[in-house]
Amino acid sequence: MTSYSSGGFFNPAYHDSETLEIDRRSSSRTHHTNPYAREDPERGNMHYLSPDQTSADDAVGRVPWGGWQEESWRGRESIPMGLISTRPGSPSWQHDLNHSTFQIPADSRYDRSHSARLPSVSGNMTMRWRGISMRRMSMFPNSDPAHLAFTEDAIRNEMENEEQNLVKELVALSTRDRIRAIRDLPMSFEEKKHIRSQVLTFKSAKQSRQFTCFADCSENMSLSFRRCGYNVRSARQTLELWQGIMKEIGGTFGTSVLSYFVFLKWLLMFNIFSFLVNFGFITIPVLVYDPSPNIPLNVSFRGLEILTGAGYFNYTVMYYGGYSNETLVGLSDYNMQLAYFFTIALYMVLCGIALIFSMASSFKKNYVLADSSSSSAWQLLCSWDFNITNERAVRQRKNNLRVQLTESLSERAQGELLTLSEKLKHFGIYLGSWFLSTGLAVGCGVGIYYLCIYEKKHTTDAANWSLLQEAETLLVPFVVSLINLVVPLFYSLFNKFEHYSSQRKQIYALVVRNVLLKMSILGVLCYYWMNVVAEKFSCWESMVGQALYRLVIFDFFFLMLGSFFGEFLRNVMGRRLLPCLGVPEFDVARNVLELIYAQTLAWIGIYFSPLLPAIQILKFFILFYLKKVSLTQNCQPPRRSGRAAQMQTIFIALLFFPFFVGALSIVAYTAWSLTPSEQCGPFRGLNNTFSVVEVWIDKLETIPGSQWVVWIFQNVIRSEIFYFFITLIIIVVIYIFWQVTQGRKQLIVQLRQQIINEGRDKSFLLEKLQNLQKSNKKAKQKNHKKRASRRSDDHSSGGQSNSNAMVQALLARQRIEDEEERHRAGGVPVPSDISNSSALAQAMLARQRAEDQNEDSYQMSDRHSSSSIALTHSIQVAMVQGRDENYGMSGLSENPVNTSSAVTQAMQARQRAEQHRADDTDDLPSSVSSVMMQVMQARQRAEELPQNPAPAGSSALIQAMLARQQAQNEYDDGY
Amino acid sequence: MRKTIKTPEVPMDRILTLPELKSNPFRKRICHVFSTSEHKDGSLTFEDFLDLLSAFSDSATLEIKSHYAFRIFDFDDDGTLDGGDLEKLVNCLTGETDDTRLTAEEMRQLISNILEESDIDKDGTVNLSEFQHVISRSPDFVSSFKIVL
Repeated sequence: MTSYSSGGFFNPAYHDSETLEIDRRSSSRTHHTNPYAREDPERGNMHYLSPDQTSADDAVGRVPWGGWQEESWRGRESIPMGLISTRPGSPSWQHDLNHSTFQIPADSRYDRSHSARLPSVSGNMTMRWRGISMRRMSMFPNSDPAHLAFTEDAIRNEMENEEQNLVKELVALSTRDRIRAIRDLPMSFEEKKHIRSQVLTFKSAKQSRQFTCFADCSENMSLSFRRCGYNVRSARQTLELWQGIMKEIGGTFGTSVLSYFVFLKWLLMFNIFSFLVNFGFITIPVLVYDPSPNIPLNVSFRGLEILTGAGYFNYTVMYYGGYSNETLVGLSDYNMQLAYFFTIALYMVLCGIALIFSMASSFKKNYVLADSSSSSAWQLLCSWDFNITNERAVRQRKNNLRVQLTESLSERAQGELLTLSEKLKHFGIYLGSWFLSTGLAVGCGVGIYYLCIYEKKHTTDAANWSLLQEAETLLVPFVVSLINLVVPLFYSLFNKFEHYSSQRKQIYALVVRNVLLKMSILGVLCYYWMNVVAEKFSCWESMVGQALYRLVIFDFFFLMLGSFFGEFLRNVMGRRLLPCLGVPEFDVARNVLELIYAQTLAWIGIYFSPLLPAIQILKFFILFYLKKVSLTQNCQPPRRSGRAAQMQTIFIALLFFPFFVGALSIVAYTAWSLTPSEQCGPFRGLNNTFSVVEVWIDKLETIPGSQWVVWIFQNVIRSEIFYFFITLIIIVVIYIFWQVTQGRKQLIVQLRQQIINEGRDKSFLLEKLQNLQKSNKKAKQKNHKKRASRRSDDHSSGGQSNSNAMVQALLARQRIEDEEERHRAGGVPVPSDISNSSALAQAMLARQRAEDQNEDSYQMSDRHSSSSIALTHSIQVAMVQGRDENYGMSGLSENPVNTSSAVTQAMQARQRAEQHRADDTDDLPSSVSSVMMQVMQARQRAEELPQNPAPAGSSALIQAMLARQQAQNEYDDGY
Repeated sequence: MRKTIKTPEVPMDRILTLPELKSNPFRKRICHVFSTSEHKDGSLTFEDFLDLLSAFSDSATLEIKSHYAFRIFDFDDDGTLDGGDLEKLVNCLTGETDDTRLTAEEMRQLISNILEESDIDKDGTVNLSEFQHVISRSPDFVSSFKIVL
């Protein structure tokens, strides 16, 4: 405690002095263990009575130090300490400092600091804290207990500061943000509670004056709202569909297979939503108005309709034809035409928005920064699925991971050693397989077109078909589904011949080919419906609806068949007949593409058959259980894991881009350009579907008060200028964002380079530091020997160990200087939290301080004033300078206590420097003269001493150090 | 006054009988990382258990998940992933028995690959920020670092 009050830093001049920070610290230190204590056996007896006492002194001396640093180190702003120190029962380090710091061996202290999870601070602050401990580790690889103990303190202080900063940040946030921010801190529960209570006390202290009833009420209200929200959320979680099954699948087969089921569930929810919309706004009004469908007498339910969707169903609300164009007159008028149009339009828009949002969020999460190198080892190491709980699956997974790791190693070892001929061969195979697959897709499309034309000739517009006629309609959907089942199998055969460098490319190729196939089939079908069916049949929308119904149903059957043949039979074969085939894996990509295809059918059909989502719901519901049973019975977990999240993103993107956009454009084309059938449906008698809006607007014009709707219609919806401007603005915005992206990319490259440079700096500095440490030890040992042999007996060993400590200080100082030079040379200033070397500087400072303090403790034990320290140092300078000429310095034995003797010593130093120059053959005149200048300056400082004791003393110390350093350099050079 | 009452702790062996943790290769590390016990025996208080579940929940951010993943992988608790940690990590993932683990040469190669790939500042270890950088490039991490209840 003594040094705390006696140190010079209460003097305002001390704070204003221009000297280095190191100086400020050096004068206010107390006893401290010397890090090199064990190497200096003499010292202990002279200055410390016993080791026990030493540590006791240390504990005392350390306490004020944290507080001192709080206010002066780097001039950091901080919250008043009261906030921290008065907190009730805080498990903070301060207790440690006061009671137990030094009773515990340094090693265990270090351990505890990790396990006790010292309050670390939000995201980047945690990182900083981690960074500090990391740096400390690399700073002191051979952990010297004293060093560790010391840096531990520095870190605690640092963290204390950061915690306060965090509290300040949190106080500034709104309640909701604060809750979220606290929840997102990577800390333990205890620490979060502590931070929260601190924030709350700080906040209430701040707000106590403007505390009103209103604020109280609103606080309570928001609290109860939040609780309500939590309850709803937890209730929703309990009611989650298929939670147990999902967990089971994830636990056995991992996340990638699970993603198929998640996707399936998501589509199911999508369809439930669309069913509710369509049923609620289109079907229910019709059913309420006219519950009995007007079915011709000769049509009856025969059973085959379930497959074909024709006949009986044709007259129900299942299809477009079942809806009337009347305005339903009930409690209020309900315009069927408008309802039909707007419901479908709204549904399509909502689907689009939902897809865009889920796609965008998925992209943001999963795809943005994804690495291109797929075989990277980290990706395998990080991909351990914590979901997996099945013992067997864990074993299998471990095996797979090992195989993948060795594969990644061998891939890397092989490198790119392909010869030109091999490359050409690969290229030829790619070209051939792409040509073949595209040809297959086109061929399928053409075949289906002619099949449709053939079918058209055989179907009539009659109301009642014979059973045979009805059964004939099943031909097209059967063929289409068959193609969808068989051709992808061919495609996967291609993979056996192609050699893609990564599995991802292989999957992408497969996906693209399948998409092409499905697109061509659907495109041909749509062309047929829009151009041929629309011409021929009187109620063509219902015919299209039927065709889609059949496709949906047959797709379902073939999905079942696919999992039977593809998984069950394959499993039987793999187990019983051909063990080399092995147990099949669940092919996520193929299955997801099937789902996407099914959903596209439902989207196209939404206009022609508004209740198709009901069929879709049923289909997906059954499919879920079917796939689950097939998976658990027949399949093994996928050998290659990973990329699940990325694949999911791609699937959603696929679902959106070719498929949803395609379906949307077909529906839009139908609504804008095709003439609705005259005999049936809500739009009979109109030129096109969209004209229903025009009619409505015409009607609205007569009603006063709705002019604005008309205006919007005329000037926004129907005006080309509006769309022109919108397009222009969007293009400009896209361009700007594109530019911003380019800029960011460049920035990323630059920052990466900067990190690498910093890393190099750091390793260079560390190397230098270690070299210095080594040479320092050697030099010290040499010094010991020399001094022990050459010095006369009246030399106090205090002086000797002083110089010893000073060597430490000098080395530390030199290190700092080196580092500063580095910084200057580096040019670009880097923010402290990302710069390794600037943080390194802090660690060095801490170390420097440790050494300074050691050194000071010697001085203090001699009960000298700080001025005498400086003088001793200048003596040391002089002594080293002239060591080779004169070893018996009588003045050294007495401890100099007054200023005049200090001046004398400095003068002596100067003399000796001069002498030395004379002896030396003018090799290094400049350095010697600069040494002289340093000593002169030291003398000046010493003379100023009476006015301003502490700072002058300490800066004199630095000057003396400099002088000594240079002298030493020169001394070494001389030899 | 509440501080004086000792919160009951469930010993690690009990925790590890939970089906969600039973077969996890990192189960012991998970307990040690989340334990605040003074005996360092991996026993969990109720609050530690809540911490564990929240870190492995769906709603935890990438920041939290990567932080705890780093600490789970940091076997010697020294704040960096060095060669020893990585070796233990790989052994955990591939199985500890002799026939499943990688050979010494493979291990050495693998670790040097890993360091080459992720050790941006070339100090021979992977620190938290480097680790988080790696994590941000492997999008599967968030979905796989999860325990479903």
